[in-house]
Amino acid sequence: MAAPDLRAELDSLLLQLLGDLEELEGKRAVLNTRVEEGWLSLAKARYAMGAKSVGPLQYASHMEPQVCLHTSEAQEGLQKFKVVRAGVHTPEEVGPGEAALRRRKGPAKTPEPQSSEAPQDPLNWFGILVPHSLRQAQASFRDGLQLAADIASLQNRIDWGRNQIRGLQKKLKQLEPGAA
Amino acid sequence: MRMSPEAAGRTAHARSGVRRTGSRTAEAGLRWLLVLWRDLCLAAGMAGRGKLIAVIGDEDTVTGFLLGGIGELNKNRHPNFLVVEKDTTINEIEDTFRQFLHRDDIGIILINQYIAEMVRHALDAHQHSIPAVLEIPSKEHPYDAAKDSILRRARGMFTAEDLR
Repeated sequence: MAAPDLRAELDSLLLQLLGDLEELEGKRAVLNTRVEEGWLSLAKARYAMGAKSVGPLQYASHMEPQVCLHTSEAQEGLQKFKVVRAGVHTPEEVGPGEAALRRRKGPAKTPEPQSSEAPQDPLNWFGILVPHSLRQAQASFRDGLQLAADIASLQNRIDWGRNQIRGLQKKLKQLEPGAA
Repeated sequence: MRMSPEAAGRTAHARSGVRRTGSRTAEAGLRWLLVLWRDLCLAAGMAGRGKLIAVIGDEDTVTGFLLGGIGELNKNRHPNFLVVEKDTTINEIEDTFRQFLHRDDIGIILINQYIAEMVRHALDAHQHSIPAVLEIPSKEHPYDAAKDSILRRARGMFTAEDLR
């Protein structure tokens, strides 16, 4: 590869790296804000429920993850992360035929297939009626998880870009030892 | 050519030996195939299920992210979180961090930055893209970009010679 082409590629990689760093800084600031909001909400929940009511003592003895990560390889050595939520419940849809009258006597006798694969909501560890602040804390940390996956993808891209730049710089030094 | 009875007997015995050896080889091959098939199914199951997010942090950080739904704890597998308290030793933190690094079902490790400072040498030595390590602030210690391993590496890319 000729030196001018290498320089052009190096410039574009550098620009991409600087753009990624700026994006990373922005997402980090948002993540830090979400986490701080989550702590504040947890403190409010603790104030409402009691000092020892929100902590490791309430953790379940059996936990199934509600959130998983899916990884994909965009380019060679470049991993991308995506957060996937398990057991998302879709609201029951009422068709046009059922809209007129619905029985209110209770659940149907024919057992519907249970979504046993759906993991238990961690809010249930803290009781049946939890304060609104605990739900807010959960929402803040869930947003934080989405941001964490984006930040991890950006970090990988920055590392990958850094390695590509170093490789190109070495090639350039070999082609133009005097200029280097 | 007619074979003597003894020769016929020896031949039959030799043939049955070959059959026994052959059947043992086939059995071993079949067992290997079954093990390979089981491992492939397990890997496919894990790939279908996705990777986990691990967290090493103080009580509030871990509780918050567990509320978000990342926790895994059952009888067979180790938990994917560690609550660091006042009496948690640096060795415990480092051991847990290294365990998370070596697990192939963890994609991201979230760690409070003040805890990451205690095991900075282990973080700096980790060069792989998976699992990704993310430093997050804690209540008493706000996030400092100057201490982040990833940003320090990016900042240290350029020397005076490179910019000449």
